[in-house]
Amino acid sequence: MTIHLSIVLFLPLATGFSGALMPRGTGRWAVLAGTLAVLAYVVVILVDFEPGGGLQYVTNDDWIPELGIHYALGVNGLSLFMIALTAIGWVACTFVAAFSELERPRLFFFHLALAETAVLGAFMAQDLALFIVFFDLMLVPFYFLIGGWGSGDRVRATTKFVIYTLSGSLLMMAAAIALGVLATPDGGNISFLLSDLRERSVPLGSQEWIVLLFALAFFVKAPLFPLHGWVPDTYRATSIPVLALLSGVLSKVGVYAFLQIVLPIMPDGSQHWQELFIVLAVFSILYGSVLAFSQDNIRLVLAYSSIAQLGFIVLGIFALEEKGAQGALFQMLNHGLVTVALFLIVGVIAARAAGSESLAELGGMAFRAPVLAALFLITALATLAMPGSGNFIGEILILFGTFENKLVYGLVAAVGVVLAAVYMIRVYQGTMHGPVGPAVESRDIDRMHLSALAPLVALVIALGLYPNFVVHRTEQATTGAIAGARVAGAAQKAGAQETAAATGASAPRIVVAEESR
Amino acid sequence: MIDLLAAVKAPVIDYKELSPLFALAGGSVIVLMVGLVRSFFVRSVVVPALTAVALLTAIGLTIWIWEPGNQPPILEGALGVDALSLGISMLFYVAGLVTIVLSLRSTASREAGHGEYYSMLLGSIAGMVVLAEAESLMTLFIGFELLSIPLYVLCASNLHRRTSLEAGLKYLVVGSVGSATLLYGLALIYGATGALRLDGIAAALASDAVNTADPLLLTGIALAATGLAFKASVAPFHQWTPDVYQGAPTPITTFMAVATKAAAFAVLIRLFDFALGLSQLDWGPALAVLAATTIVIGNVGAIAQRSLKRMLAWSSVAQAGYLLAGVVVGTQLGVKATAFYLAVYLVMNVAAFAVVIARERVTEFGDDLRSFENLGQAAPLLAWPMTIAMLSLAGFPATGGFIGKFYLIDASVAGDYTWLGIAIVIGSVLSLAYYLRVIAVMWMGRYEVELPSVPPRRVRPVAGWSPEADARAQPEVLAVALLAAAATIFFGIWPDPLFDVARDVASSLPSLH
Amino acid sequence: MSATTFGWLVLAFPLAGTVINSLGWRVLPGRLPGWIASSAIFLAFLSSIGALIKLQDHPAEERHLVDSLWTYASTADFHVDLAILIDPLSVFMCLVVSGVSFLIHVYSVAYMTSDRGYSRYFAYLNYFVFSMLLLVLAANFVILIIGWAFVGAASYLLISFWYRRTTAVEAGIKAFVINVIGDVGLVIGAFLILDKTGSLDFLQVFSQVDQTFTRNDGTLVAACLLLLVGAFAKSAQLPLHTWLPDAMEGPTPVSALIHAATMVTAGVYLIARMFPLFEQAPAAADVGAIIGCATLLFAGTVALVVTDLKRVIAYSTISQIGYMVMGVSAAAYSAGLFHLMTHAFFKALLFMGAGSVIGAMAGIQDMDRMGGFRRAMPFTFVTFTIGALALAGFPFTSGWFSKDEIIGSLLNRGGLYAVLGVLGYVGAFMTAVYAFRMVFRVFQGEQAPEARELEGGHMAHGDPVNPMTGEPEDTDVGFPGPEHHIAERDWPMKAAMGPLALLAIVGGYIAIPGVDNVLEKFLEPTFADSRFADTHPSTGAEWIGLVIGGVISITGIGLAWWVYIREPGTAARLRERFPRAHNFLSHKWYFDELYDAVFVRPATTIGAFCRRVVEADFVQGTIVGGATGIVRVGTSFARSIQTGYLRAYALLLLLGVAGLTLYFLLNSS
Repeated sequence: MTIHLSIVLFLPLATGFSGALMPRGTGRWAVLAGTLAVLAYVVVILVDFEPGGGLQYVTNDDWIPELGIHYALGVNGLSLFMIALTAIGWVACTFVAAFSELERPRLFFFHLALAETAVLGAFMAQDLALFIVFFDLMLVPFYFLIGGWGSGDRVRATTKFVIYTLSGSLLMMAAAIALGVLATPDGGNISFLLSDLRERSVPLGSQEWIVLLFALAFFVKAPLFPLHGWVPDTYRATSIPVLALLSGVLSKVGVYAFLQIVLPIMPDGSQHWQELFIVLAVFSILYGSVLAFSQDNIRLVLAYSSIAQLGFIVLGIFALEEKGAQGALFQMLNHGLVTVALFLIVGVIAARAAGSESLAELGGMAFRAPVLAALFLITALATLAMPGSGNFIGEILILFGTFENKLVYGLVAAVGVVLAAVYMIRVYQGTMHGPVGPAVESRDIDRMHLSALAPLVALVIALGLYPNFVVHRTEQATTGAIAGARVAGAAQKAGAQETAAATGASAPRIVVAEESR
Repeated sequence: MIDLLAAVKAPVIDYKELSPLFALAGGSVIVLMVGLVRSFFVRSVVVPALTAVALLTAIGLTIWIWEPGNQPPILEGALGVDALSLGISMLFYVAGLVTIVLSLRSTASREAGHGEYYSMLLGSIAGMVVLAEAESLMTLFIGFELLSIPLYVLCASNLHRRTSLEAGLKYLVVGSVGSATLLYGLALIYGATGALRLDGIAAALASDAVNTADPLLLTGIALAATGLAFKASVAPFHQWTPDVYQGAPTPITTFMAVATKAAAFAVLIRLFDFALGLSQLDWGPALAVLAATTIVIGNVGAIAQRSLKRMLAWSSVAQAGYLLAGVVVGTQLGVKATAFYLAVYLVMNVAAFAVVIARERVTEFGDDLRSFENLGQAAPLLAWPMTIAMLSLAGFPATGGFIGKFYLIDASVAGDYTWLGIAIVIGSVLSLAYYLRVIAVMWMGRYEVELPSVPPRRVRPVAGWSPEADARAQPEVLAVALLAAAATIFFGIWPDPLFDVARDVASSLPSLH
Repeated sequence: MSATTFGWLVLAFPLAGTVINSLGWRVLPGRLPGWIASSAIFLAFLSSIGALIKLQDHPAEERHLVDSLWTYASTADFHVDLAILIDPLSVFMCLVVSGVSFLIHVYSVAYMTSDRGYSRYFAYLNYFVFSMLLLVLAANFVILIIGWAFVGAASYLLISFWYRRTTAVEAGIKAFVINVIGDVGLVIGAFLILDKTGSLDFLQVFSQVDQTFTRNDGTLVAACLLLLVGAFAKSAQLPLHTWLPDAMEGPTPVSALIHAATMVTAGVYLIARMFPLFEQAPAAADVGAIIGCATLLFAGTVALVVTDLKRVIAYSTISQIGYMVMGVSAAAYSAGLFHLMTHAFFKALLFMGAGSVIGAMAGIQDMDRMGGFRRAMPFTFVTFTIGALALAGFPFTSGWFSKDEIIGSLLNRGGLYAVLGVLGYVGAFMTAVYAFRMVFRVFQGEQAPEARELEGGHMAHGDPVNPMTGEPEDTDVGFPGPEHHIAERDWPMKAAMGPLALLAIVGGYIAIPGVDNVLEKFLEPTFADSRFADTHPSTGAEWIGLVIGGVISITGIGLAWWVYIREPGTAARLRERFPRAHNFLSHKWYFDELYDAVFVRPATTIGAFCRRVVEADFVQGTIVGGATGIVRVGTSFARSIQTGYLRAYALLLLLGVAGLTLYFLLNSS
């Protein structure tokens, strides 16, 4: 029972409030300081975190006993780096926003801070209902951030975004409540505590539709084909720092919850839909990639590319194999970092092309902006999972995991790797190389953006140099997360001795799973 | 002669239990008398003050006689003074207080005459209390009428506005049809069970004397359900709601939106979950279908509205659908959920209506969406309560609305009505379309609206507008809005106190599992 | 210091050079970046020698040293260390790579002088050398793949080094994508191997191959074929060769280093490195040999007609690598690697000469415009001719020994391989012809105006245009600087070409049949376990082969002389005689057109289709539009019944009552 996580969790909100009450100019600095403090705190946790130590920094109080909702927070291998990603992303984007001209700045930064609290909460929550609270809560600030500070048809875009996401997550809420009710043993009290739910069992029949509703919510958030209808408008309308967070961090919450919540609690249900979800994932990979290289607007290229990337992550998760899940989790971190960096770069580029983000009007920037070009190059190569980057290790683990269980899908997905190369290089060349675009008057990256981007890029390189730092700390958690579903899968495999072998193989892993609870 | 008198056996009158009613009745008489005094000061200050005093007394007395658990009915089983009725009555009192505050500057009270206006308000509240306490079909109907008749008048109290009069008339006519149906239904139930007292009905159903599949009984249930559904504005008996809500003076609209609905649901709970509890299998599905339709129609209807009062009317229809789910399942949990949601529903609607009043008094657009454009910059103190109210109605977390919906879905799932829970969810998704629009208009609006310190000349005399009224110059409205919004957030983060009340309320119906 | 320490140093120096040059791009003056880079590579070369010496201290059977810096990634059965493997093969590759790279760096110091991207160029070049050395030193598949992709990236960066040129940009993305295809092949192949052997470390895998797999085991063959995909993509073998000719968009030294001497031979190295796998999967090995042979013939024919000087050399490179692939696939490892080395010498030399000539032509690369440079550029002429002789396999040049050793060992294995060997001679003949076609057309014949000017003592100055498209270019980038550089005037270029010319001749003397065989002895420990370790053509057979090869090359040179010197215009007449054949060849067998039709266009069409139809009609139209449509219908319905007329309300109310009652009554019965 520690208070640390609560401090981390509510620090941004507190700074947001105080910032809103401060005089006009100074509020943003309060919020920026808040994000930095969070980052510092998270770094300490990162260092102090004991690999293989299961759930740590646990906080668990009753919140609404009537509904069995607990205020339960905790960090395990799954959430550790998601929290780190959140902290890093928010520092970078708040930093950039703090230096840019905004109307109604206090309100903007209040929402930004509220959003960080919500996202952190979703990653820390160890109670299903609490998770849903934060999962929905993060929509509110983003609704305002997109609609209030966006561009173009922003109101329509943000409404679409919220309706899409909330229709998913409200259905999930219904499913979650059903889960809680059905899991409650006769005479027992309802409880949404993840640890309780893991012990309690739900009949397979209900597991199936519950998992489906959860998946719906998470796939909308991710997004996966065909639930990405909100993406184009939203990406066009959102302002860069917000978009970076939306695409870099928010997109991870759903897929993260698969590992943290769905798979451990409803292994059989998840196993039941494995095939379907893998097909969706593979299709998203191909579809996203194809659309990515047929787009002219950089934002949209990145938008569809992240559909493809999230496809890879989901693929890795539902390969239901250690390497796959491990790679998926690692890829969440990598993709988050590079996406945040990429969108900040897009902002810098647009600023040098009279706000234009169309490849037709861009090009040839590298000569006057070598540093920008270099940063962009590194991030782009990392995004296309160039060997030597963390993304590569993530992707190779995902592919290896998939090959092991679903070779064919894995091979199809591998095509996505090639397509990724096509669209990322296309964007890089379209902006930095080639003849100078009509809209371009190029100058090199400014100090402010450099100091925001350089650390991110450095981090990307570092992950490429020593990926095991992450892999080592997350291994136990991911193995535990999918252990149940593996057994379910193994049990379904035909052939007695095959079954025996598979279950035998994963028996010790279940033990690991127990420990990690 | 003497022995004739002796033959009359007056029932034992439990004055303690009845004291809140006395306070209200007495209050309404006094207010009416005082209202006759000439002086402007007395009329516009003392009268409301006295009304408030009456209500506060009632509140005090209610707390005094508060007693959880199952209470035997008083007055020969005419009234049941238990936590259910008392808890719901609290909502009436609070709604009444709010209405007083909101009415302070309204033309309605002046045109109708302060005395009459406020005393009718108290009368209506008394009627609601009776309705909520009704333990027999007779008192039920008395309360029902006592509640309705003053409201008909209050709706029309804006004598110089055609829409207000129209609202009153419509309400009167359709309302009478509703009452008639109810009365007929009650009669049939009586005929079928041979009992006027609800506990008698329950006993009759329990015994083999009455067949729960008796057509007479079922027809009676159907008609009674219709009558009450009408008051709770459940589809397809909701149609009066938008017109009346829009036409009536906004303070009255507020009152109707929150108090009437509460009363209707109190009696629905008593009649169906308590008296007819045993035939739940018969009426459950029917009401469930009604609930689902209500949810859909209410939300779908609201999407198209520009007038905020109208939009809130439709939304109140939808909310009625959500609430009905709690009644349908006929469980302790359901009653708790309904009671809880009624309370939350009160605070969030009050917040919304208060802001509407504040705006419509000063802009020429009345309650049209346009009068909310860029409110975020012009008057954040008004914009925030509205925003919170909308978010809460849409069921976003950290607001009472979220917990309420969570509770209701929980109840419906636990009561094997999972599909009804899903219906609630779908309804909430639809509702985003119009709730978010309001927020968008306030925070993301395109053109500037300046807030006139002196209202423009050609302001139509819309509901409650008065020359001295102005956003900055109506602190009481602002206060109400802020308080209600604060409460909404508070219940979203710390709902336990409300849960305790809800538990007491449900405890008064031990027959439910 | 141990051999492995030297191994790490080999990697460290070029990396340091990269970092210094890329961070110091603003401050480093003049030619300093060039010299920094060159010295970095030179130090790497010295370290390779150090590694060599230390390695030789070990007894033969212990010459496989693995050293790991840290665990790179480890989860489940996937365990990878950041480790290098020092054995004769890797050391040999290090020596060749770092040695040739050093000379080419020196050449570049002068050649790129007036380019605006001077330090960027050397940063890239060092980065490339680092990657290449990482590739050859890798001790497991993952590190290998990393090096593999790094060289691909470096080559991409250098191909589109003059990035304002649209042609250069297109060539860049083409090369990159084809390389990625290769990477994917490697990744999947690596998985199959991990899946079966449970390890990704070379030595462990090799030690288990024979237990794990039966001969020609299906999985193993598949894995080997996937490795071959990687090898072919990198080594520009059929059908993945199309990127290499376009890669000539890069600066000429780059073509010399990456696209002739080092990177493109990585495929050969890979096959040699993986020999235990291929020997267990002969089917795959045969595929490799056949494709190598096909490639060498195909590329030879194209090289006969192409008129762009650099592209001729490029196709000749493809063809020569065909020999190497054929050799190593046929288990003639030392022969293949021997040719790899000699080829590195003379091909780099040829490119340098070409660069010098192109410099004199003010950036023009078309041989039709050239001629008579012999007197104007004596040094270039001599060195270029030496290179051409070695390429043509003229007796007692390095190419003679190496190429014929490959063919010799093929004939020796007999069967299919004998056929391939004979075809190899056909290729050799073409090689001789196109090699001297270049020499004669560039240096002999009537003088081009540029040549005359140069004799007059001042170099030609064309205005900057893209040699491919002829479109004018801005001189920021996309044009090798305002003035050009030729060997005759810049000593560093001489200093680089001289040694290479020498090596192109004497480089072959380390493996004269019957006399000595240093190379094979040195590589012996690596290939000790090979089944064919001791199947060698007899010295006599080898000499016979050498004689045949010599005769063929001389006749080829003679033919070239006859066509271009004795009877000028013969080529033209042939062109008129067989226009179709000529078209076919000069369009490089229509490979690009084919790929464009089969892959590029369909992909773009699909993309457009998805954007216009699926995205617009299905996702936005059906899903979003459908939902909103339903709601809109509902809304209008709700409004339409909301007439405001009491009678309507009453009616609905009554309908409701009726419905409800009906329901109950139906239930009651």
